[in-house]
Amino acid sequence: MHWIALRPGPEAARTSSTGSVADEGADALLALGEWALQYTPKVARLDDALLLEVSASERLWGGWRALLRQIYTSNKPVAPVHYARGATSLIAYARLQDKALARTSPDDLPLHTLAAARPHLATLHRLGCNHWGQLRALPRGGVARRFGAPLLAALDRAYGLQPELYPWLVLPDVFDATLALDAQVETAPALLFGARRLLAALQLWLQSRHRGVLALELCWTMDARRNTATQGQLLLRSAEPSADMAHLLRLAGEQLARVTLPAPVHALRLRTLETQKLAGETASLLPDARRSGDSLQQLLERLSARLGAQQVLQMQPCDEHRPEKMQVWQPAVNASQLIATCEGRTGARALKDINSSALYPTWLLATPRQLAVHQKHPHDLGPLTLVAGPQRLEAGWWVADDCALRDYFLARSERLGLLWIYRERLSGQGAAANADADAQWYLHGLFA
Amino acid sequence: MLPSSLSVASLDFGAAVWRADALACAAGATVASGHGALDAELPGGGWPLGAISEILQPPGVWQEWRLLLPALTRTPGPVVLVGPPHAPFGPGLGARGLDARRLLWVGAAAPAARLWAAEQALRCAEVVAVLAWLPQVRTEQLRRLQLAAQTHSKLLFVMRPAAAQSESSPAVLRLLLARALTAGVAPDALRVQILKRRGAPLAHTLVLPARPAGLAVLLALRGDSQGPGQQLVAMEEAGHALDCLAAGA
Repeated sequence: MHWIALRPGPEAARTSSTGSVADEGADALLALGEWALQYTPKVARLDDALLLEVSASERLWGGWRALLRQIYTSNKPVAPVHYARGATSLIAYARLQDKALARTSPDDLPLHTLAAARPHLATLHRLGCNHWGQLRALPRGGVARRFGAPLLAALDRAYGLQPELYPWLVLPDVFDATLALDAQVETAPALLFGARRLLAALQLWLQSRHRGVLALELCWTMDARRNTATQGQLLLRSAEPSADMAHLLRLAGEQLARVTLPAPVHALRLRTLETQKLAGETASLLPDARRSGDSLQQLLERLSARLGAQQVLQMQPCDEHRPEKMQVWQPAVNASQLIATCEGRTGARALKDINSSALYPTWLLATPRQLAVHQKHPHDLGPLTLVAGPQRLEAGWWVADDCALRDYFLARSERLGLLWIYRERLSGQGAAANADADAQWYLHGLFA
Repeated sequence: MLPSSLSVASLDFGAAVWRADALACAAGATVASGHGALDAELPGGGWPLGAISEILQPPGVWQEWRLLLPALTRTPGPVVLVGPPHAPFGPGLGARGLDARRLLWVGAAAPAARLWAAEQALRCAEVVAVLAWLPQVRTEQLRRLQLAAQTHSKLLFVMRPAAAQSESSPAVLRLLLARALTAGVAPDALRVQILKRRGAPLAHTLVLPARPAGLAVLLALRGDSQGPGQQLVAMEEAGHALDCLAAGA
């Protein structure tokens, strides 16, 4: 058995949160506990310290020394922490009391480091009993009679003669952490530094619970001033469960860039609103099967966060005869749909459900542009030669103001190449007679 | 000391040295453009991956689909369009083999936002090609885009106005699409002038017959009947002709 005892340093308690001193200590301990859970699931709280049982996870981390190096140096918690270790939790806890005891053998540990012996310290001292070893040498029956069974039981646990059982620390179902900022922050982008620390804690929480985050809320508390709110918040959403903090940080950065703060901020709070079980990543046997780079979902979210959802579009075909309604460009939210189109249904068969024809142009003007007419012929930077047509379209007559009565033509322009233009037909019998005279011509598409 | 008879030309450095009078054998991978005449003139036989291919066009002319569609239809995966001038028309693109649902249309007005979006798209693992319309872009910005393209091996096409041909550019390939119709060549053929490539400059203009079958039939019918009368080809006829072609194939 290998135990490590941790206690947050006195400086750590201050940075954690507002509230009473006792609260701050508890918060710091809880934050440290969440950090410690990445090394072992057996983390327990004893008074003001944390106890970690790491013998079971040593192999995972590459041995005892590698694990210690990881905890002590390469992946230190943000706040300063005192460490001690021992073969049982009580030895580790006793050594944590005083740095001078770090190498002391259990028999030589002073009795005041054993919590169960503290009520009887005066009596034990008068007996000449100052160290664990001396207490252990006393006859057990006498000790049990004079000091009670709990002391004996604690001594047995300290020497590993009885199992040590603790209520192990379990992470809460919802991640909710607050951070008091060291200095007041005036601009929203600068909040990112605080958010980074909270996201690091969130990552540990997600890792140990094997979850990915779908929705996050970042709140900040501002100085109370006249006419301004004291709270502000930001919602971060991800279509796929994500445990990638770099991605979430970029999303937060994009959104914070557009926030203006009415008053300086002194505290930040990060809360998960929605999480989902994260499926493991499928490893590939072949090295090049995995391409490097971000996922499409991350790209969509990042583009939408900065440019706006209405600026990142994908096409949805529609059953319509009017060209402008044959397709709808709608915000691309879900990457899986786009990928499914690309992977599963390439080739000609996939195109069947789009009403396609080679006689359609490749570019469509968002709004048809009216063309100048000279001597009954449409002009656009020069005269247009009609090549083919007409293709008659009558649709939308059942909707008022949305009626399309058009004759489409292919036209060739000296400068612009092949164009798709239409002549608007006027409805009604009387109008048909002089339709040619004052027909309106429109440019609707380009053949590129 | 080297013997005097040993000239530099007789040394064989293999692929490590590229002589400026020969077409470079592509350092990176390429994707065939689908136009035989163009492939023959491009280093490596196609569009370079991981480098900018610049396409210059006169104002108001948007002929890029004709040039790029054969290559895009062959590479499965999402294609990102950054700031296209008009809406891509799905039914028209579908007839030319490209499923428009593969397209991701990123609308961004500011030049800086377009560059940023193009760079982000290059970083994405799934995206196979990025088409960016950058009418106002400075050389140093293009250079940055070129660096981004190098690290991610993707097709990257930058569409710029023809006026930019006098400016220097970090693109490894620059093409000028000439005016759509000029006397002496088949109407509606695509005229491509290679302004810059890794190799000797190409003096003559390439002519690519790049129309889909149905439209080509229609245009051919029109070509036959160029009589004095303004006789228009009915579209229905062309549709039948297309069906016959499809049945015969």
